[in-house]
Amino acid sequence: MSTYSDASGAIMPLPKARRATGFGGVVPALAFVAIFFIAPVAVLLLRSVLEPVPGFGNYAQLIGSATYLKIFANTFIVSGLVTVISLLIGFPVAWALAIMPGRLTSVIFAILLLSMWTNLLARTYAWMVLLQRTGLINKMLIGMGLIDKPLALVNNLTGVTIGMTYIMLPFIILPLYGVIKKIDPSTLQAAALCGANRWQCLTRVLLPLAMPGMAAGALMVFVMSLGYFVTPSLLGGTANMMLAELIAQFVQSLVNWGMGGAAALVLLVVTLSLYTVQLRFFGNQNPGGR
Amino acid sequence: MKTTFAFAAVAAFVAVSGPAHADNMVFSSWGGTTQDAQKAAWASPFTEKTGITVVQDGPTDYGKLKAMVEAGQVTWDVVDVEGDYAAQAGKNGQLEKLDFSVIDKSKLDPRFVTDYSVGSFYYSFVIGCNADAVSACPKTWADLFDTTKFPGKRTFYKWSAPGVIEAALLADGVAADKLYPLDLDRAFKKLDTIKSDIVWWSGGAQSQQLLASAEAPFGSVWNGRMTALAASGIKTETSWEQNITAADSLVVPKGSPNAEAAMKFIAMATSAEPQAALAKATGYAPINVDSAKLMDPETAKTLPDQQTASQVNADMNYWADNRDAIGEKWYAWQAK
Repeated sequence: MSTYSDASGAIMPLPKARRATGFGGVVPALAFVAIFFIAPVAVLLLRSVLEPVPGFGNYAQLIGSATYLKIFANTFIVSGLVTVISLLIGFPVAWALAIMPGRLTSVIFAILLLSMWTNLLARTYAWMVLLQRTGLINKMLIGMGLIDKPLALVNNLTGVTIGMTYIMLPFIILPLYGVIKKIDPSTLQAAALCGANRWQCLTRVLLPLAMPGMAAGALMVFVMSLGYFVTPSLLGGTANMMLAELIAQFVQSLVNWGMGGAAALVLLVVTLSLYTVQLRFFGNQNPGGR
Repeated sequence: MKTTFAFAAVAAFVAVSGPAHADNMVFSSWGGTTQDAQKAAWASPFTEKTGITVVQDGPTDYGKLKAMVEAGQVTWDVVDVEGDYAAQAGKNGQLEKLDFSVIDKSKLDPRFVTDYSVGSFYYSFVIGCNADAVSACPKTWADLFDTTKFPGKRTFYKWSAPGVIEAALLADGVAADKLYPLDLDRAFKKLDTIKSDIVWWSGGAQSQQLLASAEAPFGSVWNGRMTALAASGIKTETSWEQNITAADSLVVPKGSPNAEAAMKFIAMATSAEPQAALAKATGYAPINVDSAKLMDPETAKTLPDQQTASQVNADMNYWADNRDAIGEKWYAWQAK
């Protein structure tokens, strides 16, 4: 807070002496980060090179095993798939939200936010019930005569992708909405007046202007997907196990913290490097792009 | 700087106030209906008798338990764990030795007693089936692995624990008394034959849901879940043929601040009456040999301790010694 209210309620600037000056003001924040973020990561790093025997054995085992490499690959495939599908569904929704009349927008926002605030486990179980062999979706498709044998929609890649995309959608729609909303509609009109057809308006005007929002949303979804646990664990089969589940098994079931730490650290490094790349390419751009 | 000091003061306070008050102890179990039953059958009468409040916590998490013991900040006094884990953790020095001058082990099923643990209750992996959903139910492990005679999905326990490997070997024709040491390669080869037909369950409720919805109309499940499923009105069939037993165990983490109360609690929990009450509520068998005569015959009939003729005992000591090695192979095979 750099302002306070006096007795009359007017906002006054803080007297200079009480204002945090220089480095001292950020010490509590830095201490917080050090204690709650850096220290645990350091401990994890130490464990991964000290347990069960000192050295890089855990990392060697992690990278040397075809199974674990497959789990890494799975993690990236699922996260990538979820990101792309979320973008494909999220973009039109964000676009519609930006141009729709106010009342309809608030209804859709309410649906979006309510679903986001509903318990994650409950939502995942709901998908499990909907998608299973005897579930609503299969029954409906069979009833309509579209298929004669139930589709395998759950306990496999399909189930994970559907469930995770559903959960990730708000995280892509919200930043995209913010960016699209800021795009001046007259730029599109101008493009049309200058002879651009609808496709050109979309690909040469709207998409480039929305790019920072898409990049931010996509990165957020991708990174969140990389570390996702509940949904893949419940809706996926063991054949497409993801990294977070492997880490949970190492830590909780096998009580092998060295391997768990190594796997967690690899995930962290990947996430941070992705974030750096994103910052480099999009960090300086002002969302809305003007 | 003031803030940093305040922060340190708070941290110090939290550290000092860690151990619970002497009239309290904490019991951790797996949650759900089983822990509710443990609370009703064990904790309530215990509090009534001793005045010691039993705080319920959970779910049990081996990583958390290890962290508590290593950090010397143990907040759980009695923990319900799986039998093979109890045997392993005891050997690794993470548990307090049980005080058998307080706990009377003469009446406890010796299969489930070690220096560091006593049974909590015991259960069997049985072949459960939703008889409404299929024309015929599998009777033996060989049936459950036979996808021509019994087409469709079957469900098995997802985690590396006694049960599935044994079932695969029995299905492949290994004699029950020749199971150990486990021939893992043979077991995985057998499991390969049905891998694409397996739906895994990771918790009891999920196994029920899979059977009830016929997503996987049959599979290997804990017997208590079949009792509960039958009570819900679904036509079920349970085959006790070569039911594979395993037990949960009660342990005291090393450095428990209320170890004395913990011993008393375990003594009470494993005595005849509370064991019978728990068995009645859960469908899992008592580990106190005197409990059987306290139960009505109708209930007793559905418990694993009445099925000993066709019972296969999972070897907890073998599992304790090989837990890590099997686990690594197990998860690698699953992810393949």
